[in-house]
Amino acid sequence: MRTLRALAVSLPAAALVLTACGGDDTAGGGDGDVVELRYAFWGSDDRAQMTQDMIDKFEAENPDIRVEIDYADFGAYFDKLATSVAANDAPDIMTMGGAYHSEYAGRGALLDLGEVDDMIRTDKISDDILAHGTIDDSLYAIPTGVNGYAMVANPAVFAQAGLELPDDTTWTWDDFADLCTQIGTALGDDGYGSQDLTNHNTLSLWARQNGESLYNEDGELGISAESLTQWWEFALELRDSGCTPPATLTEELASQSAPEQTLIGTNSGGMSLVWSNVLEALSTASGEELELLIPPGLGGGEPGSWLGPSMYYTISARTEHPEEAARLVDFMLNEPAAAESFLTDRGLPVNTDVRDAIMDDLTPVQQAEAEYLNRLQEVVGEPVAPAPVGSTETADIVTRLNSEILFDRTTPQDAADQFITEVGAALQQ
Amino acid sequence: MAYLFLAPWFIGMVVITIGPILASLYLSFTEYSLLQPPEWLGLENYRRMLDDERLHTALRVTFTYVFVSVPMQLALALALAFFLDRGVRGLAIYRSIYYLPSLLGGSVAIAILWRQIFGTEGLINQLLGAVGIEGEGWVSHPDHALSTLIVLNVWTFGAPMVIFLAGLRQIPTMYYEAAEVDGAGGFTKFWRITIPLLTPIIFFNLVLQIIGSFQTFTQAFIVSGGTGGPADSTLFYTLYTYQRGFGSFEMGYASALAWVLLVIIAIFTAVNFLAAKRWVHYGD
Repeated sequence: MRTLRALAVSLPAAALVLTACGGDDTAGGGDGDVVELRYAFWGSDDRAQMTQDMIDKFEAENPDIRVEIDYADFGAYFDKLATSVAANDAPDIMTMGGAYHSEYAGRGALLDLGEVDDMIRTDKISDDILAHGTIDDSLYAIPTGVNGYAMVANPAVFAQAGLELPDDTTWTWDDFADLCTQIGTALGDDGYGSQDLTNHNTLSLWARQNGESLYNEDGELGISAESLTQWWEFALELRDSGCTPPATLTEELASQSAPEQTLIGTNSGGMSLVWSNVLEALSTASGEELELLIPPGLGGGEPGSWLGPSMYYTISARTEHPEEAARLVDFMLNEPAAAESFLTDRGLPVNTDVRDAIMDDLTPVQQAEAEYLNRLQEVVGEPVAPAPVGSTETADIVTRLNSEILFDRTTPQDAADQFITEVGAALQQ
Repeated sequence: MAYLFLAPWFIGMVVITIGPILASLYLSFTEYSLLQPPEWLGLENYRRMLDDERLHTALRVTFTYVFVSVPMQLALALALAFFLDRGVRGLAIYRSIYYLPSLLGGSVAIAILWRQIFGTEGLINQLLGAVGIEGEGWVSHPDHALSTLIVLNVWTFGAPMVIFLAGLRQIPTMYYEAAEVDGAGGFTKFWRITIPLLTPIIFFNLVLQIIGSFQTFTQAFIVSGGTGGPADSTLFYTLYTYQRGFGSFEMGYASALAWVLLVIIAIFTAVNFLAAKRWVHYGD
């Protein structure tokens, strides 16, 4: 009897819990043929708002699809994504960055976009750009926008040191070191010629200028220990000449990503190597008219820079609605209306027609960014091979070894060997 | 009947705690990228730890942190509890103020604040600058970064202090009176009466703080931006586990690391309990 009464009390409670759990699955069932998609990306509330604006336009044109946005801050995004993929609850459309699309595609988590190529138009997107998302000869990820690696320069700081901006079509690393040291000397305690330049993108640039590549077409390490050693010896020279800050400040700058706190953002540095799409944020932070320069070369060698993707659109391999997901990706890539919602927030649009269509809507800074990319387009060499599986770790390995070098705890030679061992091991897995 | 009322707790325990623990034990013998089903590896993950130099760094960092910060924190907690116990006016206020850092110490906000205070342009360097010393960035130098985190941990002495305070209150005053009659001074009373009678409390705090310190994560994650830098000087064991699991998609190896940490903590706790027989007095 007592047991029965307890059962009577607990059953409704259990039923409540169960229905609450089931809520997600039944929600969309009522209105017949409407397909629900989940679209995940990282970013701020601003980006979420732009995205929602774009989604509204998409839903108006496609009444049979409803899109739910799912976003997180960059730091948490990939942890959350990996967990939901592991739990078999992957979003239908996922934004990727860095080498994450390779990590996911290489492990079978992404849809081969060849299966939906009648839905996604790619004829207005250059093959070099699409190559970044092509893994083992299949297209898994489509770049959202184009970016270029650039040397950002602050003319106000140059003027303070009594210097002119260099001609970036001919300048070499020696010219850079000269200018940088002069600025550092002129500013004294108030600033430095440049922020420390070392990261995996710079190593990629350096490798290309030396006729190598960070990764080769087979997904192996392509840069030699000699090139790495030379780069880090150069970095030490820059530190010692007063061009770049002492190790502690470099370390502090490296462990934070806010544009407002960089040397360029605080007007206490003359130059820095950045991706072109941060120009807007840096300009806002510094309040100066910053310029993007093509990075210096080896003198007569290849310029080395390249057009890179800013992010990628990918579709989950386990989506139940590959066609509808593909329609959304196509809309985001190829419809001027979509681009009008987020302008250059995901990089300069990869579709050249769309790019032209929004050009007038851009701010002067965004136009400067577009002009830089047009100039860079003329001098880019071979496209960069897509980042291989396991290469996500490279960025952290470079940062760590760079600290060891700048704090004089290891030599460029030893760090170069260490780099080859560690990155090699990460790529093998 | 009783089982029915136990059920909510029991289901939670099984589904949220025991289940994942057992799953991670299984995963620790596999290669698991999160994106693909796990593949059986046997003991390979455990064997790999022997050659993993960054793991050795992480162990060095974590052990240094535990061995330096726990004794310092407990000594400070005991000292303050001892003075507060001698009848300070407004004891409740002091107690609350000193306890506050324990509540905040593990939080993200405090870790961010710490970064600012010990940064190149931070409060510490401004104070040093006022007396003519030019300091470097403390959190961004490999020789000092761990020290700043140790200071942060010592600063959260409030929790053990409150427990010490309660323990001190329980020591009957007649022991002290008797000792005074025999002519004992302040130090003798502290050393011969207070400490021995407080040993169960010291032991309790020691065990708790050691277990807690081994698991430190938030502070190092925030202060180093998740890298364990500069130059791996704040690469705590848990931070390294996180990096392997989420950074390089090696959840199997990360699970094995988590289990090794569990074993390390279990060994320390067991040794503590064994040693306790020699120095902890539970009265009679």
